[in-house]
Amino acid sequence: MMQHIDNETLIDYMHGALPPQADAAVYAHMETCAQCREQFEAEAALTEMLHSYAAATERDFPSTLKAEIWSRVRSAQPSFWSRVRDNLRPAVFVPVAAALALAAYFGSTLLSPHAPPSIEAAYYLQDHAALNTTVPFSDRNSSTPVDLQNGAMIAPSEETAVNVQPASYTADAGQ
Amino acid sequence: MPGNKLRTAALAAGALALFLTAAPVQAPAQDATELLRQAVDAYAKYSYVGQVQNVDFGSTRAIAVLFRIEHRAPELTRRWYLAPESLYGESIISKGDTSYDIDPHQDRIVVVRDDAIEDQVAEDDNFGLLLHNYRAIMGPPENIAGRRAYAVLLVNRYDGQTVMRISVDADTKLVLEKERYAPSGSVSHQMHFENIRYTAGLPTDLFSVPTSGYTRVNGPSHGSPSADLRAVVKTAGFHALGPTYLPEGFVPLAGDVSEIKGIRTLHLIYSDGLRTVSIFENARGAAVDLTKYTIHSAKVHAHDAQYVLDGPTTLLAWAQGDLHLTLVGELSQTDLVRIASSVAP
Repeated sequence: MMQHIDNETLIDYMHGALPPQADAAVYAHMETCAQCREQFEAEAALTEMLHSYAAATERDFPSTLKAEIWSRVRSAQPSFWSRVRDNLRPAVFVPVAAALALAAYFGSTLLSPHAPPSIEAAYYLQDHAALNTTVPFSDRNSSTPVDLQNGAMIAPSEETAVNVQPASYTADAGQ
Repeated sequence: MPGNKLRTAALAAGALALFLTAAPVQAPAQDATELLRQAVDAYAKYSYVGQVQNVDFGSTRAIAVLFRIEHRAPELTRRWYLAPESLYGESIISKGDTSYDIDPHQDRIVVVRDDAIEDQVAEDDNFGLLLHNYRAIMGPPENIAGRRAYAVLLVNRYDGQTVMRISVDADTKLVLEKERYAPSGSVSHQMHFENIRYTAGLPTDLFSVPTSGYTRVNGPSHGSPSADLRAVVKTAGFHALGPTYLPEGFVPLAGDVSEIKGIRTLHLIYSDGLRTVSIFENARGAAVDLTKYTIHSAKVHAHDAQYVLDGPTTLLAWAQGDLHLTLVGELSQTDLVRIASSVAP
């Protein structure tokens, strides 16, 4: 009497990765063993879920779209305003460039208090690593003092978690 | 003689039948899978002292860190840094979900909390995902830090790429060496015990955090992420985007929303059980500050993007309409650009 098939072999069987003899043996065993068949169906359901997730989320451009875009670009004629702009370019370019340079010089000083803050890359790297800790063989011991100190550059008063309410409690849940 | 031939043929057929029925059960991968399962649990079961070297390999240089480690199972760990010189004398004490970086140069202690560390359910789910997406293959026996070890290769079932090699102690199943590989096949990260001694006698005082003489600084606290991604996205308060392409085997794991410097930031994480990719989004024009890294340019559709490498991790940042987006993951820059190019409402 054959023992039950281990999970690894079942997954290999599902992926068609077993040698022919082993593949045939697994097939024959599952014909008579309800427990292994049930285990196989559970794995197959997971695979199906992964495939349907990938299929549902991946969208390709229609093959004709790119050709259509290029066709339109090539056939496009310069507009009236394009021609005017081209004709005036030397006359307009110098004063506009000078004005932009002045605006950049003075504007950076005047506007900086209202500019949005930037967020240190270290914060993103550390937050990624933090959510990564439940993944097997993640680098639990690889955060160095430098990583932790970089993360501390964002003071607690500057970083707070927002409570997430379960979707079923929201007014438009299920939409 | 016909009788002998008949008997020989019957024996051969019997042996073949025995081989056919036994083959799936005796697959060597079964041992590798069980070894992996025990390796995941070993950290919480065994106490030890030793010396570890971690090396992160970038595209042109590597960053190595050497530390002495004392671990009292299940959850007390102290790492004393020996090299590089700038870290010499610093230590990190970890107690469950909280880490304390003790910096004697600046007389301060940085406290970081990460609730996800104790999420056993998520760990079990992710181990199942790992087994589903990766084939575990036994390598040859090895000797690491003076101990007999088994090597296990983790090979992606979809593209055949070896993503990680781990070597586990033959007796305790603790991971003694680990190498993570880049898509090119080069080593992107290596962890290696130079020596190790198992002990049951580590005193708890060894893991006590100094209470005087240091200024305590709170680093970011990472709360438990939610697996209810729809709720997380609603909480963001803006029209979030998500990738419509992910490498095969990747599924959404969890997410959270934080306010950083007053900027509400959405974080979603996807994984195939071994590699992960995070997407961060904010709608307030807060770009990512990459000034401490070597910045490379890329294009995400028509948008200018920038990416940096941090050991095995790549960070790609770009703006799309009102949103500033950042992808972080243990994937190649090409993979990240492909994911980024698929980001849509």
